Amino acid sequence: MLEEQMDILLGILYTILGNDYWWGPWIRGVIGLCAMGGIMVAAMFAVWLERKYASDIQSRIGPNRVGGKYGLLQLIADAIKLFTKEDIKPDKVDGPVWAGAPILMFGSALLMIIAIPFGAFIFNGVTYPLAVTQFDISILYLEAVSAIGIIGIFMAGWGSNNKFSVIAAFRNIARMIGYEVALGLTIVSVVIVTGSLNIVDIVEAQGSVIWFAFVMPLGFVIFGVSLIADMGRVPFDQNEAEEELIAGWGTEYSGMRFGLAYFAEYIHMVLGSCIAVLIFLGGWNMPGFLVDLHIPLIGLLPAGIFLAKWVLVMMFVIMIRWALPRIRIDQVTSIGWKVLFPLAMVNLVWAAMIGLVWPW
Amino acid sequence: MVNKHDVKKRMRQLAAEYIHEPQQEAYKLDDTEMMLHIGPQNPIQPGPFLIDLKISGETVRDSKLYMGYGHKGIEKILESMTYIQGLPVTDRICYLASLSNNEAYVSSVERLLDIEPPERSQYIRVIMQELSRIQSHLLGTGEYATDLGFVTMFLFMIREREYVLGLIEDITGARITHCFPRFGGVREDLPDGWREKAIDVLSMINEKCEMYKELFSSDRTYRMRTVDIGTLTKEDVIKAGLTGPALRATGIDYDVRKVYPTLTYPDIDFKVQTAKKGDIFNRVMVRINEIQESCWIIEQALDQMKPGPLFPDELPYGRRTPSMRVPPGEAYVPVEDPRGEMAMYIVSDGTDKPYRVKIRGPAFALMQGLPPMLENVYIADVPAIAASMDSCNSEVDR
Amino acid sequence: MVLKNFEEMIKNTFRPSVTRLCPEVPTEVSDRYRGMHKLDRDKCIGCGICAGTCPTRAIRIVRYGRWFPMIDFGHCMFCGLCVDQCPNDALTMTKEYTEAISPDRYALIYGPAQLMGEED
Repeated sequence: MLEEQMDILLGILYTILGNDYWWGPWIRGVIGLCAMGGIMVAAMFAVWLERKYASDIQSRIGPNRVGGKYGLLQLIADAIKLFTKEDIKPDKVDGPVWAGAPILMFGSALLMIIAIPFGAFIFNGVTYPLAVTQFDISILYLEAVSAIGIIGIFMAGWGSNNKFSVIAAFRNIARMIGYEVALGLTIVSVVIVTGSLNIVDIVEAQGSVIWFAFVMPLGFVIFGVSLIADMGRVPFDQNEAEEELIAGWGTEYSGMRFGLAYFAEYIHMVLGSCIAVLIFLGGWNMPGFLVDLHIPLIGLLPAGIFLAKWVLVMMFVIMIRWALPRIRIDQVTSIGWKVLFPLAMVNLVWAAMIGLVWPW
Repeated sequence: MVNKHDVKKRMRQLAAEYIHEPQQEAYKLDDTEMMLHIGPQNPIQPGPFLIDLKISGETVRDSKLYMGYGHKGIEKILESMTYIQGLPVTDRICYLASLSNNEAYVSSVERLLDIEPPERSQYIRVIMQELSRIQSHLLGTGEYATDLGFVTMFLFMIREREYVLGLIEDITGARITHCFPRFGGVREDLPDGWREKAIDVLSMINEKCEMYKELFSSDRTYRMRTVDIGTLTKEDVIKAGLTGPALRATGIDYDVRKVYPTLTYPDIDFKVQTAKKGDIFNRVMVRINEIQESCWIIEQALDQMKPGPLFPDELPYGRRTPSMRVPPGEAYVPVEDPRGEMAMYIVSDGTDKPYRVKIRGPAFALMQGLPPMLENVYIADVPAIAASMDSCNSEVDR
Repeated sequence: MVLKNFEEMIKNTFRPSVTRLCPEVPTEVSDRYRGMHKLDRDKCIGCGICAGTCPTRAIRIVRYGRWFPMIDFGHCMFCGLCVDQCPNDALTMTKEYTEAISPDRYALIYGPAQLMGEED
């Protein structure tokens, strides 16, 4: 009975979404747009979470007027404010470069959506990951696309024709060159253990035994530090340090141009946390010893587990921002090259040894 | 008295020698250098001043300091007000340390008038000075923490400062510009029940200072930014004329409360806080230690105080004493401001308004001490060094 | 290393917040707070000492039957010297401070009737 109903359901789904009729690709496009909208809502949630959690750390109340007692719609009020500001274009900026920078940052953050599975739908023992597409080199694609945003920041810094922005742009490049290496090496070590570049396979590999964070703790710490440096948050936010550089690369931006760049940073934070959850924290799986207890993972429970882990990772990232002072740029690069890079190599050797014994 | 014609001749000479800025030696740039203006308007500054930095890459090669954007002419204003009317004006020289400014003014005028406040008033003035020191150090260290990127520390210190401001408001009636001491005494006595409340608040601040010291000294990212940066040697501080925590952090134990003791400081037992090396880390530690020492001083003063009159017998009207004719003479009584040695040199000519009031503010020397420290540091160190000196722009430019 | 910071921050999230809910809940000020002035009709003798002492010259003495002070709260800096110098303690300072804000600067000039509380 159940298999027949499942077959009818799958038949309907293939008719709607498949390529047999003309409406297939269009409906897939609409679903992609909904995914993009969902990410925007998630980024709004991230901003709200940051403001509320930061105020909890600092013994104060965060936004509490717009949208009820907890200020849930505060970001909509801020967005309306940014839309209605005057669009000032300074005279001597380099036109296309200056105007294209926020668009590039926003676009590169959105490109990451298509490969990340936001949870899964498990029915009858088969896992259907909730991703827009699923292809074999997804983790490599994600890391490559997340690095395009740096070009956007450099364009903003250079095109603004402003001493402060240029210094900020140089600092950015120095930071990114240092930390992409360590990030890549830890991802490679995870791939070695799993044996596949497909992100769904990495999650499935963790589901069978135990999360990679417990197996490779050194790799997890390195990945965490490099991810925070990649996202450009304190203690690594020299590019927008307010003390000496007014607003860094964002000095000449106001109104919705600034809003796009600011939003892009938060989308990057959301998606970076998703990647951290998927690669190291088991994605939508419970740990291996719970699977042995035969708790059935049915329906949308995996997606709920993914969401809970994601919120915890984001809260940790936010707490680091408010707990530590900023590091100076020469210390940033020296940490990246002198400390993280050798440790990442050590982790690679360790992962190779684990990969020989991993039951996959 | 100075000859007017000599002054004019000297000014003409200086004007002829002045080289316009772009041709000055310090402003000539190589191919690798860039001029950065941390300018009069900047989000981090407490007030407007200008530092021109010549940077090459990220290292500072040379720097030049311009002050005076906030000049209000306070010394000239004080010449046209009577002595009692000038008291609220001295509040506003530096609004953070306004009780110390009041104290410097009132002590100098009392020395000209040759009266001495009775013992209870002296103890109350000592308590107010130390409370003012606590709240000024809390805010100064908090602002310094924001310049490092450590915003949460600022909010913690502001939270404690609110309790101290509540204590001060219970006595004086205002939070920042107090106008509290009077010539010969203080405006009002301590209210009932203040003593128990103060002891609670002070013990809480003592605990929190321990927490701050641990947070600052155990954090490795913080130590990377502050240890061995912005070091001042003993010769540098004496040449620049610095006083206060910046001087004591290098090891010289000069504290006006011990060297020129006024009020009842000789009866109170306290230690001068020093450190061995004058870098940013030690300056901030000296300030936090001073907060704890001030809590101890206030507790001793509260124990030693006895009931008594607030004004001496030769002033029968107490705080209602009208504007008086002060006998001619000059007086200079230094006071330990939270930033250093503060004094007002008052010259009176027998009328009811002063002839000249010269304010010796400690913040001016703190700003002067900046350019020698900014040799071969990184740009990111400049705001950290400037904020750790804790200078107040409205006192520099009075 | 950095873990002490994290521990302290996480512990602080469980303590109550200390924000003053300003427009809804009025801020409590101390009993000696120097707010706007109040005049006692029976005690004031119209001597003018308060006007002479004011550093910003915000007080003027005008006729309202007898001679009484008129205070301009736009210029007043709430220093309290006029209250100190009054020989009969006719002028005192209340805890009221929200009325000293107005979009019209001439509405801030309080005549003797307003200071005595007889008229709005």
